[in-house]
Amino acid sequence: MAQLRKLRVGIVGCGKIADGHAEVVKHLEGAELAAVCDREPLLAEQLAVRYGVPAWYGDTAEMLARENLDVVHITTPPGVHLPLTRQCVEAGAHVFLEKPLALTAPEAKALIDVVVAGGKQMSINYWPNFDPPAMEFKRLLAAGEIGEPVHVEAFIGYDLAGAYGQALMSDAGHWVHRLPGKLFQNMMDHIFNRIVPLFPDVEPEVHAFAYKRREGVRNDGTDALLDELRVFLRGGTVSGYGSLCSHARPVSNTLKVYGTKATVEVDFNNRTVVQTTSQKYPSAVGRLVPPVQMAGRYFAEAKKNLGQFRRHEFHFFAGMSKLLELFYASIRSGSEPPIPYSEIMRVVDVMDQVIAQVYPATEGGAR
Amino acid sequence: MKILVTGAGGFLGKAIVERLLAHGQNDIRCMLRDTSKARGLEAIAARYPESKLEFIAVNLRNPAEIVPAVAGCDVVIHAAAALKGSPAEMFMDSPVASRNLLEVIVNELRPIRVVLVSSFGVMGVPELPRGAMVDESTPMERHPELRDVYSHSKLRQEQLFWEYREKYGFELVVLRPGVIYGPGGGHFSNRVGLSLFGRFLHLGGDNLLPLTYVDNCAEAIVVAALSEEANGQIYNVVDDDLVTSKQYLARYKSKVKRLSSIPVPYPVLMWGSKMVERYSQRSKGQLPAIFTPYKTRAMWAGNQFSNAKLKSIGWRPVVSTQEGLERAFAAFRAEPEKVK
Repeated sequence: MAQLRKLRVGIVGCGKIADGHAEVVKHLEGAELAAVCDREPLLAEQLAVRYGVPAWYGDTAEMLARENLDVVHITTPPGVHLPLTRQCVEAGAHVFLEKPLALTAPEAKALIDVVVAGGKQMSINYWPNFDPPAMEFKRLLAAGEIGEPVHVEAFIGYDLAGAYGQALMSDAGHWVHRLPGKLFQNMMDHIFNRIVPLFPDVEPEVHAFAYKRREGVRNDGTDALLDELRVFLRGGTVSGYGSLCSHARPVSNTLKVYGTKATVEVDFNNRTVVQTTSQKYPSAVGRLVPPVQMAGRYFAEAKKNLGQFRRHEFHFFAGMSKLLELFYASIRSGSEPPIPYSEIMRVVDVMDQVIAQVYPATEGGAR
Repeated sequence: MKILVTGAGGFLGKAIVERLLAHGQNDIRCMLRDTSKARGLEAIAARYPESKLEFIAVNLRNPAEIVPAVAGCDVVIHAAAALKGSPAEMFMDSPVASRNLLEVIVNELRPIRVVLVSSFGVMGVPELPRGAMVDESTPMERHPELRDVYSHSKLRQEQLFWEYREKYGFELVVLRPGVIYGPGGGHFSNRVGLSLFGRFLHLGGDNLLPLTYVDNCAEAIVVAALSEEANGQIYNVVDDDLVTSKQYLARYKSKVKRLSSIPVPYPVLMWGSKMVERYSQRSKGQLPAIFTPYKTRAMWAGNQFSNAKLKSIGWRPVVSTQEGLERAFAAFRAEPEKVK
């Protein structure tokens, strides 16, 4: 088979998450990281030097004019996603964006419209949904093993003292504090992008509440940030429960789907997908069996993970590699992108409703 | 003469302020990330009745905040730097912060002397033969991408200072401390070893440690800052009577706490580093290359160190290594190690 031309990839925004993109693209066949860009040239330079990228820029227009890029990864804060997308699409590039897609749902819609009107493709970094356990879950669902979803629970833990949390808690000027939905807006894509695809295509009912569990003693801009979010949803005959939790330990990351045939728990951190057993045999003896069966199922997951590790398929960002493989393939073939735009819009619509409920607009209209 | 000290609330910064006061420099503006760090400095100032300390909270990522901090200063001692965080954060808080500071300095109308606290990490030690002398003539690192991010960020920072000096012609003095230690500091430099899976791997063997007691390092910075002939010069900072890694570890075990350690001889470490690097490449980064032959040559090859140039401008240690280690170990014993 003829060798495919490598897609020329660029990155705009060289903050922390750009490292993940550079690391993944570096190892993808069929792509080369051609250039990186940040309005702070020293940040662009450090990323380029560390990943052996041939060119770096302090100006997106200059990068686009010179580099003839096929795809641009936009890893800036969301406030500038729309103008950057417009710039990239006009320069003939497809775009891959970090979540959240934009500051509001209407802005996200405008962004997708720009991409479609320009005849390009876009995708968003919903990488956990492409991690091996999420792919296995999708397989089970498609094979009918779970039946119809009845209720879905998505739980995301967050560590305010962790690497990402500390960066924003120690800096009242961090861009996350300026998002309408603050921390939640930066994280809840990963809650609702698990729930929404399991809902029928009707507008869901959304009830959200949030509060601050930590003690606000800093007397600065960080104090306004709420840290615990609970959301109840219902779409047709399916209900959902989403949670962002900053205080429970361990910091977990799970999806539990209660179906008409089976209940499955996906653990993204531990990389397990396990169906809950039920009691098949009567009496006390029957109750002895299920835990043993569960142990066997977890053992099988451990064995599967070991196999993946041995085959070098157990990377932290395995999901991002998978998603990008699919996205780049859709760019080459002109086929449908891996995440339908309608699904992205349903996620951002839910997010807008949550934000309106937990950070209600103050008088004068500003949140 | 008004002196601005950035990072004044830090481990080294506090000691710099104290040594400035000891040298009769009483007019000091202390730049802090937040004013909660001023407490330790107030305690120091209380010992010097003549002192005139000003505190100013500045985030060096924001150029506008820097202008009032630099206004009216004759000397700027830049000791603020990132020690941890993601690569992007470390570059924001070292090279970017430095560039912001330099922009303000060169836009001041009065001449300002600039003193940079750089690092041993900026030198291209991996390209030297084993056992070579490391001094001010050692070339700068040519492959920062192969080193740790801290060394990379410090290298870029020092380069920026030389680039700005070349362009704008201000007075510049650069100090490159080795391992700064003392009460309140870290217990172990990686040059001694590191904890892995609950065991302490002793990697330093019989290598000399380029130690400098925090007060001695601060004294070096102050002596160089005040020395006429130091303009345009680099000074490596290490103390006299250095101990080996093995001696340090043995004394730590007897004075601080029992510790089970596994000695790893250099050839074994080098072999292991090759294996780790090879595995990391083959597995496309499934496990990070925390050890590589290049990093191992930088940290554990064993070198000689000189402080002759520093002594030529009048620096003398204020605390002997014997005494410094005793003070540090007594403090380590009293307070548990901070989590890195």
